[in-house]
Amino acid sequence: MLCNRFKQAHPLIITARDVCKSVSTGDAELTILEKVNIDLTAGEVLAIVGPSGSGKSTLLGVLAGLDSASSGTVHLLDQPLHELDEDGRAAVRAGSVGFVFQSFQLLPGLSALENVMLPLELANIDDAKSRALQQLAAVGLEHRLGHLPAQLSGGEQQRVAVARAFVSIPSVLFADEPTGNLDHATGDRIIDLMFRLRAEHNTALVLVTHDQNLASRCDRVSSMQDGQLR
Amino acid sequence: MQTSLSGLRRDFGLAWRQLRREFRLSEYLVLIFALILSVAAVTSVGFFANRVERAMAAQAATLLAADAVLSSPKPITSEVLDRAAKDSLRTTGVTEFPSVVLTEEGDTGLVSVKAVGPDYPLRGELKLTQQLLGEERVATDAPDSGTVWIDPRLAGRLELVVGDQLQFGDIEVIVAALIAFEPDGSVDTFQLAPRLMMNSDDLQRSGLLGEGSRARYRLLLAGDEPGVESFTDWFDATSDANMQLQTVEEGRPAVRSALVNARRFLGLAAAVAVLLSAAAVALAARQIAERDMNTGSLMRTFGASGNTVLRVVLIRLGLIALLATVLGCTTGYLAQFGLSALLGQWFAAELPAPSLTPLFGGLMCAVLALLGFCLPSLVRAIDTPVLQVLRRDLPVVQPSALLALSSALAALGILLAWLTRDWKLGLLLLLGMLLVLGILMLVSRFLVALAVRVKSGYMRRALESLRRRPDSVSLQIAAFSVGLLAILLLTLVRNDVLGAWQRQIPDDAPNFFLINIQPDEVSSVKEFLSRRGVQNDTLYPMIRARLESINGEPVVDIKFDDRAGERFAERDFNLSYLAEQREDNKILSGEWWDSDVTTPLFSVEEDFASDIGVAIGDTLQFRIADQLVIGEVSNLREVDWESFAVNFFVVGTPVGLDDKPASYVSSVYVPDQQGEFVRELVSEFSGVTAIEIGTMLKRVTGIIDRAALAVQYVFVFTMLAGLLVLWASVLASRRERFREAAILRTLGASRTYLASSTTREFALIGLLAGIIASSVAALIGWAVIERVMELSYEFNIWLWVTGIVAGVAGVLIAGKLATRPVLNQLPIAVLQSQV
Repeated sequence: MLCNRFKQAHPLIITARDVCKSVSTGDAELTILEKVNIDLTAGEVLAIVGPSGSGKSTLLGVLAGLDSASSGTVHLLDQPLHELDEDGRAAVRAGSVGFVFQSFQLLPGLSALENVMLPLELANIDDAKSRALQQLAAVGLEHRLGHLPAQLSGGEQQRVAVARAFVSIPSVLFADEPTGNLDHATGDRIIDLMFRLRAEHNTALVLVTHDQNLASRCDRVSSMQDGQLR
Repeated sequence: MQTSLSGLRRDFGLAWRQLRREFRLSEYLVLIFALILSVAAVTSVGFFANRVERAMAAQAATLLAADAVLSSPKPITSEVLDRAAKDSLRTTGVTEFPSVVLTEEGDTGLVSVKAVGPDYPLRGELKLTQQLLGEERVATDAPDSGTVWIDPRLAGRLELVVGDQLQFGDIEVIVAALIAFEPDGSVDTFQLAPRLMMNSDDLQRSGLLGEGSRARYRLLLAGDEPGVESFTDWFDATSDANMQLQTVEEGRPAVRSALVNARRFLGLAAAVAVLLSAAAVALAARQIAERDMNTGSLMRTFGASGNTVLRVVLIRLGLIALLATVLGCTTGYLAQFGLSALLGQWFAAELPAPSLTPLFGGLMCAVLALLGFCLPSLVRAIDTPVLQVLRRDLPVVQPSALLALSSALAALGILLAWLTRDWKLGLLLLLGMLLVLGILMLVSRFLVALAVRVKSGYMRRALESLRRRPDSVSLQIAAFSVGLLAILLLTLVRNDVLGAWQRQIPDDAPNFFLINIQPDEVSSVKEFLSRRGVQNDTLYPMIRARLESINGEPVVDIKFDDRAGERFAERDFNLSYLAEQREDNKILSGEWWDSDVTTPLFSVEEDFASDIGVAIGDTLQFRIADQLVIGEVSNLREVDWESFAVNFFVVGTPVGLDDKPASYVSSVYVPDQQGEFVRELVSEFSGVTAIEIGTMLKRVTGIIDRAALAVQYVFVFTMLAGLLVLWASVLASRRERFREAAILRTLGASRTYLASSTTREFALIGLLAGIIASSVAALIGWAVIERVMELSYEFNIWLWVTGIVAGVAGVLIAGKLATRPVLNQLPIAVLQSQV
């Protein structure tokens, strides 16, 4: 509910200004992001493309508050991530931000259902189980609820990850090469699923990908080159 | 409050859900088993000690058979009796001494005589039976004159029943009952001879106690508290150090100190198991931490705070600690029955059920092991960058070495201090154990370095594995060899040491000590011995004396560097005198005295001289009865104590000593298979006691055997902990092993090939562990036999065979079990990173 109200009241989901990120490599300073500026509105789909090592994943991490910028400002859901510590950034993500990763990132000790329930539980949402059941049914895995990730195929694992990403009806979803570990056909089905659910919930999407075809399905495509966004 | 409660419930749910499934993972199994082993090792000792303590507490009121007991090597003086009467205390006298009894059939037996006065015992109950395991009745007074009560052990040994007659000194007595329970029995916990209780009125008639006889006199006292306190105050003010007063509060010091020692030794054995288990916990924790890093960063990605992740980790550890405590304490409780069966009878006839106190110790052990060895790794997992979910290439965060080391050392230090009940000893043990483990690791590392240079096609893959993981393999070898070494030391090496000692005893070494020979019996005993064909018939005078001063300074004022010196200065000991130097005593410095010497001189045994800090020319003053003897130290002697010949710390000139009250002693060799010698000796010289050395040795070695068996029993936990370390370190390389196996199988290697490769690898590790354990055990055996005991060491091939076979078998079984999943895994699953 809160998310929907937010979407109506604040069309800008992400605002990043002059974001720089550099790391020390012992002797020298390595610049990964250089003066990156991004605006993302509610429901918008942005693809970030670029060669390996261009800084795509780092940018996604900074925008999602998984990493902090060396300088510049990042606002996510109207919250100044650059002013918050790790716990503060986690609180912004709780229940409002979804993720889909290339390597699925399911907790091996939890069943498919428990993996999907996790974000809701962490956001202290009461009906976690029924919502997770619904979401797993939405991705076609209602018959695999009790299975552990190791007992699922790669495609099934990614579908669980998609269900987990959408279960809290997030305002924004960050997806990092979501089809990178899947075969072409399975990858296509996952992307279709993601786009369908995104459209249903009017969730903004930041998608990092190598795949030009996939990028072409997005509202906007930005290209990363040597840490700069073009 | 509600939010925090619901948050806690949520965190508990998350922790429980994760744990429920993770239990099946090998690293969790290692962690749980290691904790269970630690808790079991600690609580088995704890439960046993607790049962003994409870037995002692339950008996406290009757432990002394009185409210206080005064004991002295001399008869209790009338001054003491008058004082007790003044304080309105009831008293009764008890005299204890060793002697020999003769049955009607002519069998003899050494007994510990206890002559008791009327009203014995003043507190508690003495229970008697008419036959073994028969109905018990409470004795209301001392045995009637002319009758004795005997220990069932004596009845069994000499086939005696109630009503039988015994010759005992100059008198004949009737066995009137068997002793079922003696309240102040076996004041010496390891009393060798069975009890015979008689009426003190018969003592004089028996002629058993002559001048200088080895007897202990006790006065039992009972009365109201102020009376006992008043008597205690009066006693404390008197300065007779030969007398000791023991009250109920002090308990039975011999039993207490035996318990403290047993607890320390068993605690040490348990501590080694805890140390190795802790190593397994630390290894498993690293695996779990790696897994948790991913879990932690994912939870934080979805909005969990650092505190939430920490709480989930702590709840999980708490649940693990609880489970390990329950299972470990149950195992420990069952294991203590074994310890009680081995050692319990030393402390009490029947041990009561333990209290729940050791459970706390078990919980503390599990919590400390987790806090010290597991938590630093897991807490560090919380600090893993959240970005790890995007960047798998980020380095694994390792806990700060300083934090990990200091928390591990602190946890171990606390555990050891608690196990040994002495923080100094705990610290010393900790350093000692780390040193031993460190040395073993260095030796293992060296052997691994040597092994990998070997060129062998057959062992190529096994050697390759050692070359790639030298540190992990060294730890495996060191950990397993510690457990194996302990077992080898307690079994084969112990037998080697005892064997070496027994071998050096000549066949014709004395087998009997003859004591309590009165001066007027000397010539007739000599005649008796020569009639029996005894070669060495020297009888040595023995005088009870007390060292009063050295160079004029009272010994009570001297600060001795050595505690042995202090003890000698505090109590009576035996002096002898000789005109001619003995051939078996070597003079190290100074000179033996001339036969016409006119002033007293002393010859002092070298170690005793060093203990009390005297040298040639120093003046010693002894009090013998009420007379003083002063003389110079004229020489220092070396004594071969293992020869079983009668020897003395201090020997004086006949001048000054030959007019003092003395009894005579001797040690003789008499082939006496049928007990003829003792029978004849006792019937001819009723007051003389013959103590058979062989029987004594058998009893002493019997006690050592049982103690060693008990320590060995606890060391089984150590062996198991060593295997767990092995399992844990194999797990540490599991990912690598999975990948290797998958690649090899993809390239066409069969499961049989992979299985035989791991067999060779673990056999090699077991071989190295066996070689190290056997070598170190042999080295310790050699050092003890050659250097400490100065005997000759004999090479024992079985030490090596057993060590190597046990090493190979143990490591092979554990290693194969740990790597079984590697062989069973489908290569495709590994290559798709699903493992």
